[in-house]
Amino acid sequence: MISTEILYPISAVIATLIIAFIVGSIIPGFERKYVHARIQQRIGPSVISPGIMAPIKFLFKENIKPNSTVPGLYKTLPIICFIVIFLILLFLIPQTYTITALASVIAIIGFLKVEEICYVLMGALSKSIMSLPMPFPDLVKGGLHLDSQRSYIEDISSKRAFRLISFGSFPLYLSLFVPVSIVGSVYLKDIVNYQAIHGPILFTTAGILGFIVFFVGYMILMNEYPFAILKAKADVIEGPYMEYASKYRAIVYFTRGFLIFTMSMIFSVLFIGLPPDVYSWKILINIAIAFIFPLIMGIISAFSPVFTNKQLYPTVIGTSLLGVLAIILSLL
Amino acid sequence: MSKENNFETIETEVSLGTVHPAALEPYRLRLFVEDEIIRDAEITIGVNHRGIERIMEGLPVEKANALTEKVCGICSNAHIWNSVLTAEKGLEIDVPPRANYIRIIMEELERLHSHLLYLGHGSEVLAHETFAMRAFSIRETVMELLRMIGGNRVQYGASIIGGVRPRCELDENRIQKIVEGMDFIETKVAEFADRFVSDPIVMNRITGVGKISQKDALRLEVTGPTLRATGVSQDLRTTMKEYEDFDINVITLSDGDVKDNILLRVLEIPETINIIRQAIKNLPKGPIVNRSWNIFDTDTIHNYIEVPRGRLYHSYRLEDGRVRGAIIRTPSMSNIGAMQLACIGNHITDAQLCIVQCDPCFTCTDRAIEVMDYNK
Repeated sequence: MISTEILYPISAVIATLIIAFIVGSIIPGFERKYVHARIQQRIGPSVISPGIMAPIKFLFKENIKPNSTVPGLYKTLPIICFIVIFLILLFLIPQTYTITALASVIAIIGFLKVEEICYVLMGALSKSIMSLPMPFPDLVKGGLHLDSQRSYIEDISSKRAFRLISFGSFPLYLSLFVPVSIVGSVYLKDIVNYQAIHGPILFTTAGILGFIVFFVGYMILMNEYPFAILKAKADVIEGPYMEYASKYRAIVYFTRGFLIFTMSMIFSVLFIGLPPDVYSWKILINIAIAFIFPLIMGIISAFSPVFTNKQLYPTVIGTSLLGVLAIILSLL
Repeated sequence: MSKENNFETIETEVSLGTVHPAALEPYRLRLFVEDEIIRDAEITIGVNHRGIERIMEGLPVEKANALTEKVCGICSNAHIWNSVLTAEKGLEIDVPPRANYIRIIMEELERLHSHLLYLGHGSEVLAHETFAMRAFSIRETVMELLRMIGGNRVQYGASIIGGVRPRCELDENRIQKIVEGMDFIETKVAEFADRFVSDPIVMNRITGVGKISQKDALRLEVTGPTLRATGVSQDLRTTMKEYEDFDINVITLSDGDVKDNILLRVLEIPETINIIRQAIKNLPKGPIVNRSWNIFDTDTIHNYIEVPRGRLYHSYRLEDGRVRGAIIRTPSMSNIGAMQLACIGNHITDAQLCIVQCDPCFTCTDRAIEVMDYNK
């Protein structure tokens, strides 16, 4: 007979993942229908359409052979992304805090970096038809600059993903170190215990600044407008995801929903001290946070055009400086 | 960057199109970039050529006129109006004043819907979905007015030789709806404009982007609002005899960038509403079509009119009542050079915006290609 000591954490993990799956599937529809569509005074899609019905539809679509130099790796990347986000969520659940090395801020940052690198690889490995030479004789008819290297638009996405890794995600990672500086520990268990005694970090000056910086970093990581430079419709279209079809696209959709939920859980653990515990009524607060973040994100994205470097650089620099200020305040 | 055989070698070429979600129509855009900054650009059209002039060849003039309406899905009325004006000019047909006023109302309504479409498309390319939706929402009123008068939302051309179609007659009920529609659009566009210029992110995004100097605009023979956005006061409506009863204020701005192109069209909307109100107020009574005209052979007839995008040219000659040698030149043909120039120096993400600021209509520009070998 399985002892309750084993059954309890396993059932907690499974229940949390089920909640994450359900909430993560509803959030994209919630954002499209109840935020964007309401602001734009239109009916919008069915609430289950973007997050649930679309991925299910894609699961049953015929797959295409992607035009990629390493198709196997290219097709594996969304699965890697999903696993990475799954692992982050797994180690945010309080029942897994015993594995201290992985239930830490350093591990979260490491996992998020893997997820970011996946975008670089996706862009580098994809060569969609959208930027292929068209049938009429482009090169034969002549014109200027005949020696230019022809680039695929996913290459641009790949370079932008690399740029985001280099500096774009600074705000997010700086904000993650605000609770670490206050508590003096990188372990989630210590951060949660500290807040159980001293109250949520969010309600300190450093915490408020940290929240603002975290939110900007969250939007950059989610590639949401105005930070959607990886998939700007005006040039790179879908960017790294362009060639994903069928079940791979379904995984991309599920991963996004999962990521939205997971990022909200990171915030609730680090800034409020509320890990997603299904055996507590406080899980409802976690779920509320999971909806509040996309709500604010949806409002901002509905009123923002896509940024170019001219707007992105000052935003990232300014937010990073705010993050540094939050860390300094947390150390005082 | 190196120079070989007078050709600059630029690091990377990025090709967008012919099918691209940011482009309303099929065209190919070759961008030569260095670190995502455009150093040169080349637009290639020609994938949507339908040969309408060739189909017009030998058709009775009435049928040929009706066919010109199919040239464009946005300025369909402008094409049939200019084609009819060309025939009327050649055949020396007098148009009843009421018919002329109704034609002007239709054309100005078309200008409204074209400018609102421009604002919607421009916002969409900026990725500002909310502004795009608002612009399209306002445009819906104009589309319904066009449907009410012309019977269709896209192919609503009113003109026939000698006047306008009988179904385009304006009774009191229709006039009232137009008046109410103009009041609604004026209020909504003012609100839209206020929000647009008050949005610091949007203004930062469009100011100084896609700049075309007045000198370049004149050199490239740019036309329409794109030319007026560089400070040149040129509008054919001020010289067209059809508009001689109307007070027209030609609006100009000076910077020639995306901001000025958008604002110019926003400012032209109230001016267009003003023209429609003048037409409604002074609408003459009388017949709407003159059917007493004879057809005879003519030399080649040329006619220019001012349409929402600029100067539109139609020409043909008549032989035995049939059209021969038809030529159509749309405003976007003149503006392609400016579109290419506007891209240079901007970020790749702004490339489509630089093109959209010139309000392109490549589908109606795909007319005919004549290859000239100047060496022979």
